[in-house]
Amino acid sequence: MLLAPVGAVADPLITLPAPAFEIPHLPSVSGTWTVTAGVGASYGPDFEGAKRSMLSPVPIFSIHRAGSADQFRGPLDAASIALIDFGDLRAGPAAKLVGARKANNFTELIGLGDVNTAYEVGGFVEYYPVDWFRARVETLQGFGGQQGVVANVSADFIVPIIERLIISAGPRFTWESTKAVAPYFGITAAQAAASGLPAFNAQGGPHSVGFGTQVSYRFTPQWEVHSYVEYARLLGDAANSPLVTLRGSRNQTTFGIGASYSFDIKVR
Amino acid sequence: MRAAGATLATFWLAFSLTGCSTFATRETKLQAVKTVGIIAAVGDEMSFATGGLTGIDGRSRRFPISSWGLDDQIVRQATAALGGRYSVQPVTYTRDVFARRIENSVLTPVNVIRADPYKRLVQTAVSPQGLDAYVVITKAKSNFGSGARKIEGIGLLSYRTVMASYTQIHALYEIRVFDGKSFDLIEKLAAPPLDNTGTIRIAGPSRVIDESFALDAGDPAQNEKLRAAISDLVARSLSSTLGDMQLAASR
Repeated sequence: MLLAPVGAVADPLITLPAPAFEIPHLPSVSGTWTVTAGVGASYGPDFEGAKRSMLSPVPIFSIHRAGSADQFRGPLDAASIALIDFGDLRAGPAAKLVGARKANNFTELIGLGDVNTAYEVGGFVEYYPVDWFRARVETLQGFGGQQGVVANVSADFIVPIIERLIISAGPRFTWESTKAVAPYFGITAAQAAASGLPAFNAQGGPHSVGFGTQVSYRFTPQWEVHSYVEYARLLGDAANSPLVTLRGSRNQTTFGIGASYSFDIKVR
Repeated sequence: MRAAGATLATFWLAFSLTGCSTFATRETKLQAVKTVGIIAAVGDEMSFATGGLTGIDGRSRRFPISSWGLDDQIVRQATAALGGRYSVQPVTYTRDVFARRIENSVLTPVNVIRADPYKRLVQTAVSPQGLDAYVVITKAKSNFGSGARKIEGIGLLSYRTVMASYTQIHALYEIRVFDGKSFDLIEKLAAPPLDNTGTIRIAGPSRVIDESFALDAGDPAQNEKLRAAISDLVARSLSSTLGDMQLAASR
């Protein structure tokens, strides 16, 4: 094992030997890679529709070729990979994990039963008519806790103030089918009896509209901090559900903050 | 962070050892190489691109710079660097063919699995054939800015922000080593960034330049200061990239 300084993007750290094998058709791993690791936190609603908020830790980790551009990413974007790339127009698969909603964890939910973890899988399309504007659409089919369709539409103006300070902001809109809304906002007769809330048959449609903004600042090539605010106003039957009107809030705001450190490894 | 690096190194070593006998490595293939030919086609033109707060029309402009002789410089420097380990033979080739822009497929997985586009060119457009290996140095691409816009080869990027503007020159190239008999690709590496990442991140050698370069004054091909800066960028990065590929001693 050779450990030696590396001069590149971030602080010199280590040199690793290339794997002793190569896989046909896949690019060599030789070269300089940047590893980014950090920690963040988000402060947002206990559950969708809640009026109280809680703090959650968010890990940050990525590895990419040194010098790769800082591709813009919205805090609510589903994980995605571009398999179609026209340069300004990109598309590919996308996926998102929506955590389980446990009724016992929050007093507002007692009697409503649990909603299992939802796995949302689908695709995305995003378009950059210019370097400073992105429009993105995600359409996801749910499995598990919700089995409906979710469509997220967002637009972001990405404004570099100086080269190390970037501010972005833009509107958000979400549409959800009945099968995606009902598990979280519908109340069956049995749940009504157990929770004290009136029964409610939640239907799909426009789900939320909102606005998001984020700021990122790179102190040095290694250290970067970021923060964001995402506001959503629930619409349709999500907003009209007794869970929201009697025990929650139509206004959903999430704050986030994070710091990360990047260092280089050289594979040769 | 050093602890994290050590952990990563341990996992990497384990990963490396698990596949020891699975496939032949580039080192095995390179050990048999005695004679090599060097092909360079990077320096025929220079692009002027804009990023950041641009207008609607963000297309690049291009200017011919063949008169700078960058490709000849690359061949001379690579010959000197490789000469200690290999017998470098002069080769003739049609530079324009290798310099021609090769468009990536819009289906990104196709770019990973398709045959290397230069393989056929080495077979058909290089003389003499029959050397043990051919080292091919051609333009590379890099994304820049927030979106997915790309720059290529030799160029200059103006990046505008609310408070200031920055101008950065770049020399993006990649080095391939082809087996001279089977024409299989033995190794490929894009030149990595130098010590230059304080401003616009570009996946290759680049550096910020200032107003003293007088870019608005006349033909860029006649700008001696610009030529010297690009030439220096190529010279400094080529040595380290050939070293990274273990084709030459690392400086």
